[in-house]
Amino acid sequence: MGFSVGFVIGFVGVLILFHAAYSTTQYKGLLKITEDDFSGPPFNVVVELIVGLVLCTWAAITVPGIFLSIHPHSDDNRMVSLPDNLDFIIFNHRGKVLVPEINMKSEH
Amino acid sequence: MAGHNESEKKSSDAVNDLQTFRAENLQSNMKVIYYSRTFLSIIGGVIAGILGFTGLTGFVFYFLVMAITSVALIAKAKFSIHTYFDSWNRVVFDGFLGGLLSFVLFWTFAYDIVHIF
Repeated sequence: MGFSVGFVIGFVGVLILFHAAYSTTQYKGLLKITEDDFSGPPFNVVVELIVGLVLCTWAAITVPGIFLSIHPHSDDNRMVSLPDNLDFIIFNHRGKVLVPEINMKSEH
Repeated sequence: MAGHNESEKKSSDAVNDLQTFRAENLQSNMKVIYYSRTFLSIIGGVIAGILGFTGLTGFVFYFLVMAITSVALIAKAKFSIHTYFDSWNRVVFDGFLGGLLSFVLFWTFAYDIVHIF
């Protein structure tokens, strides 16, 4: 199972989120030293979170697979292969034998 | 002859009653939607935890994330929902409550790691 582009993008997004979490803990430590209250995350963390969310949204949309049409007559649902046992299927019918006889009788 | 006509009529009714869409493809599309929603609820939970949301704000944020997901999924379906799903509810609401549980789990998890420890 190879890594698709979407998967790599999602991985990068998760890494960015982890880095944002780490930056926030550092910022909290700084606040502890300066004895300020936490009013909100710093600007660079907010930017990282937004970038991470966008990347992860991209991954979540592209990675799980594509939508398949549910219309019975659409191009996605055309049967493109014949069964493998065609050699064992007999195309024969009693009409093959009967029809010429009937024609003969009607002629007489 | 009457019986023959009757049975023919019945069979044609059965054909008319038959579902007019592919159930397997619909199921596969639903699976794709569940994957997307679950993953984005987890990501949304982590983000809400890092931002330090508490109480109602977090749930409002969850609604926001799910709205973004719905818009993205509709865009993925090229804005023609009825080609891929039988109703709008499938793409807008399915997987909402299950995602909420994952969201709360990762929200509290990230909040604890970032803000408490």
